[in-house]
Amino acid sequence: MNVMTRAESSVASDVVKISARDVQVHYGTTQAIKDVDVDILDKTVTAFIGPSGCGKSTFLRCLNRMNDTIDICRVSGRIMLDGEDIYDRRIDPVQLRARVGMVFQKPNPFPKSIFDNVAYGPRIHGMTQSRAELDEVVESSLRRAALWDEVKDRLASPGTGLSGGQQQRLCIARAVATGPEVLLMDEPCSALDPIATAQVEELIDELRTNFSVVIVTHSMQQAARVSQRTAFFHLGELVEYGETGTIFTKPRDPRTESYITGRIG
Amino acid sequence: MTGIAFLLLFLAALAGYLVNRQAARAIRAGGAPLHSLGLYHGGYAALMMLVPGLIFLLAWLALQGPVVDALVMAGLPEGTVSEAGGAGSAGALVLAEVRSIASGRIFGTPEAWKIEAAARMTALHGGARQLMLIGLAAILAGGFAFARSRVSAAFRARQGVERIILGLMIFCSLVAIFTTLGIVLSLVFESWRFFAMVPVHEFLFGLNWEPQIPIRADQIAGAGAFGWLPVILGTFVITVIALTVAVPVGLYAAIYLNEFASPRFRAVAKPVLEVLAGIPTVVYGFFAILTVAPALRSGASALGIAMSPNTALAAGGVMAIMLIPFISSFADDALSAVPRSLRDGSLALGSTRAETMMKVLFPAAIPGIVGGVLLAVSRAIGETMIVVMAAGLIARLTINPLDSVTTVTVQIVTLLIGDTSFDNPKTLAAFALGLMLFLVTLGINIVALGIVRKYREIYD
Amino acid sequence: MSEISAIGGPAAAPRRPGITNIARRRRSERVLQGLGLGAILLAFAMLATLVGSLIITGYPAFTQTHLRIDFPVTEARVKSDKPEAGNYRALMQDAMVAALPDADPAAARKLAAMLSNSAQFALRDRVVADPALIGQVVTMTVPVADPYDQLAKGLVRRDTPEAERRLTDAEIAAFDRLAAEGRVSRPLNTALLSNADSRFPEIAGLKGALIGSFYALMTCFVISFPLAIGAAIYLEEFAPKNRLSDIIEININNLAAVPSVVFGLLALAVFLGWFGMPRSAPFVGGLTLALMTLPTIIIATRASLKAVPPSIREAAMGLGASRQQVVFGHVLPLAMPGILTGTIIGLAQALGETAPLLLIGMNAFITAAPATPFDSATALPTQIFIWADSPERGFVSRTSAAILVLLCFLMAMNALAIFLRSKFERKW
Ligand SMILES: Nc1ncnc2c1ncn2[C@@H]1O[C@H](COP(=O)(O)OP(=O)(O)OP(=O)(O)O)[C@@H](O)[C@H]1O
Ligand SMILES: [Mg+2]
Repeated sequence: MNVMTRAESSVASDVVKISARDVQVHYGTTQAIKDVDVDILDKTVTAFIGPSGCGKSTFLRCLNRMNDTIDICRVSGRIMLDGEDIYDRRIDPVQLRARVGMVFQKPNPFPKSIFDNVAYGPRIHGMTQSRAELDEVVESSLRRAALWDEVKDRLASPGTGLSGGQQQRLCIARAVATGPEVLLMDEPCSALDPIATAQVEELIDELRTNFSVVIVTHSMQQAARVSQRTAFFHLGELVEYGETGTIFTKPRDPRTESYITGRIG
Repeated sequence: MTGIAFLLLFLAALAGYLVNRQAARAIRAGGAPLHSLGLYHGGYAALMMLVPGLIFLLAWLALQGPVVDALVMAGLPEGTVSEAGGAGSAGALVLAEVRSIASGRIFGTPEAWKIEAAARMTALHGGARQLMLIGLAAILAGGFAFARSRVSAAFRARQGVERIILGLMIFCSLVAIFTTLGIVLSLVFESWRFFAMVPVHEFLFGLNWEPQIPIRADQIAGAGAFGWLPVILGTFVITVIALTVAVPVGLYAAIYLNEFASPRFRAVAKPVLEVLAGIPTVVYGFFAILTVAPALRSGASALGIAMSPNTALAAGGVMAIMLIPFISSFADDALSAVPRSLRDGSLALGSTRAETMMKVLFPAAIPGIVGGVLLAVSRAIGETMIVVMAAGLIARLTINPLDSVTTVTVQIVTLLIGDTSFDNPKTLAAFALGLMLFLVTLGINIVALGIVRKYREIYD
Repeated sequence: MSEISAIGGPAAAPRRPGITNIARRRRSERVLQGLGLGAILLAFAMLATLVGSLIITGYPAFTQTHLRIDFPVTEARVKSDKPEAGNYRALMQDAMVAALPDADPAAARKLAAMLSNSAQFALRDRVVADPALIGQVVTMTVPVADPYDQLAKGLVRRDTPEAERRLTDAEIAAFDRLAAEGRVSRPLNTALLSNADSRFPEIAGLKGALIGSFYALMTCFVISFPLAIGAAIYLEEFAPKNRLSDIIEININNLAAVPSVVFGLLALAVFLGWFGMPRSAPFVGGLTLALMTLPTIIIATRASLKAVPPSIREAAMGLGASRQQVVFGHVLPLAMPGILTGTIIGLAQALGETAPLLLIGMNAFITAAPATPFDSATALPTQIFIWADSPERGFVSRTSAAILVLLCFLMAMNALAIFLRSKFERKW
């Protein structure tokens, strides 16, 4: 496979979707993120890479305020979504998370039917007026997650009965169904086999036409394949951020270079 | 005498231990390499004496009373006890009297043959004690001789000791099985005798329960009414009342503790609920008659409602208080067992914490919660002291919570308090009720524990 | 692929969710939170009511009204050659007549009911011990009878009509007069712990019940502790994974949920009926409680054995120790704090058990503390049950007081368990 093809396809948009400034995250007294400034573009796949424990997940979870659910976690600095500070008192994290969806490392389908899993978001947000409309949203989400053909005959069977790769695509469909503007993915392929990984990667590329996608990955190849922009984190700091092609071919920082050539991490 | 026997047993075992250990050490001092440490040779001797000695003593103590009784009864002069073989109620009465004379409590002037029998009983017991000591000494000597004879350099004393200990441990784990067997056998046996006097269908389908009617000796099977339906209906009424209150309160408490409470609130609330769970039920029973029943009664009379003094509502309400912590801790555990990833997944889709709880976590925990609620049902059915103190004694076919009802456990206790001659249906009826109680709760428990076990497997 | 893009086009995706209904959703979240908090507060309120009403009714029983009274011990009532056969009942009446000089002697004699019935025996014991007292005036401080005790504690309302009171106006006046003379005192009710049961509430105490419970609990411990540890070690460390082990395991879990009254039936039929053990004996009670406690301790012991990491077993095994040497020498000592905690909690449960003890007759009326575990006795919870059933008013507060004593013991045991757990708890 030609590693460079998609990275070379360049950035599709230069509208800034999320802009983070001076972000610090503490777990109790230990600091997990230091002074991170980053602009995430709309309709672009952005990859976060870096050695384990460097704070990629932590920073990702700041973007939809999932860190609020951890008691000891404190976030400071400013994170703007379409120019609005998401940590503003007037912003309801519940509404924010409907706009900034998230897919986790381990597939976590609810112990409900496949249909109910996908319909969960639309239902709680009251997005559809009729059953027909709901059916339509479920179908289109499953199609976009490239799962429809595999499950269309067993929508009523439990989502936990699917294979790992199918479960992860179900979780993506579930996240897509609420119609988010940004999709955060924390190592979405780490529990998947190569074929399922390829499917999900293809999917990510499709999703880019509508959303801004942020993906955390440990695979350099994956970052190169799916993303247009890459951010390299090291020990809680954002070391380098730029076009994926540039990061992988001409990194400015020596730490980035040693990481992508396999010397740290 | 018994104390002396036990003392002898332990001292002899200790002596055996020391002697054997010394013998083993002497062999090693003599230059032969021992297979096992001296400690194990000593232990082998001690176990070889302790185990058979203990079995012998316990068996002797269990059998001495019945055997002596049988001998005394068999030796009574002709015609003194009307029934053949001295069985039956007259025989039991005579035996009880002879026993109390033998122990020195003489009421009035008993007949000469009774005094004679008592003297024989005392003599037999004395003889039995001496025999027991002699037998014990023989067993100890035999055990010791055997163990001592095996002390040698090659003897695998450690394996011997470990085998005996393993056997003892297997015995320990079988005690639980023996207990269950004992429960089943005693209940079935006494119920069998009950059903010989009262037909099974009368018990199972009868609508009247009036066991307190005095029963004349000549028509034992005819009198009284032993239909258990009103009793089980009363149990059902109180259980339903208790669960109607306890299930929602317990579940809401668990939901709050699991999802909304701050760690500090949780740290206070959990122990407080544990205190509530640790209060003995006799205390709850007294609370019912001291506070709850009077409060309910004055509340009802303020509303102009007539209420019986032992209303099912008071008993059920207090039972609910007892069950709340039970249900809430079960539900809390079940909710905590739901993986965090499901919670994160739901929150990341933009649901509120309430939606996450009610639409994802709670449904995912349902199997565990159902198991807990079923265990609570079985507890409510089997709960005794609260209802003995706060519920009624008269069995009524009613489902009115303001009425007074009785329960299976109340009847068991009232039928057996004070009077325990095992030959009238009134006493035996308690065992029949006990059998039903055991079967019902056992069925519920097996289902509940099965559900809980399966549920744990899902998320482990 | 083009098909997917078409469906997933911008027309389908951007539906702004949650803008309109967020207020309603937040409201229902608050409702759920309120319900949950309410449920917990309800449970708290119940606990507070329970403890509160026990303390309010129980605290008067921790003091007992006494009367200082002078008994004129005359030769006419007590012969010096036979002091134990004296008419001490009449002496109580004489003392009341002497104490109330301006009252009609016949009425004053009736007022001897003010003194506890036990006073005559206390006086007799003193005179028998020292016959020189005959012919002298003996001053003693004795408990007053229950109705007067209630009066002194303000539990009898003086403004209720005389007919509805247990004391007449004259009786109250006589008592007030003695009180005004400074003869009435209300010291700590030590009899509550140092006396055995009695029909008279003013001298009834818990000594018999405490000793009975102690014997029963000791028996329970001595029997259940070794059995439970043996069973738990076998099941956790040695048992092969087969049908029998499964059955034992299921059986133990079920046994833990069998209603306690069923254990009472077992004890009644087997221990009393078949083996002919003595009725009402704490030993038999303890035996029954041991069977009930067994599953609890087995489960706790297995949990603490499981918590000892396998690395310790492997390390000892690697040094050539046999499996039993490993378990008894290394694993068991490490698991001991957890086992003890579970045992204490099991014993605390056993201390509060009532129903099985009722069935083996530990609710008998016994006025002497048991000397051995084989004598008839009551236990703390059954004593509570007996007193709760007694009609005398003085027993209401004594029942509450007995419950407070029981709860103190339970709290002490649980505190000990918590202490052990926190002191020896290890994080592996
Ligand atoms: N819930 C938490 N409580 C305390 N510390 C945490 C928590 N989550 C993460 N951390 C700490 O924050 C730091 C960053 O963790 P984070 O999970 O963001 O790393 P990561 O880059 O995602 O690593 P990985 O690639 O292994 O997923 C780590 O040092 C970690 O120990
Ligand atoms: Mg991570």
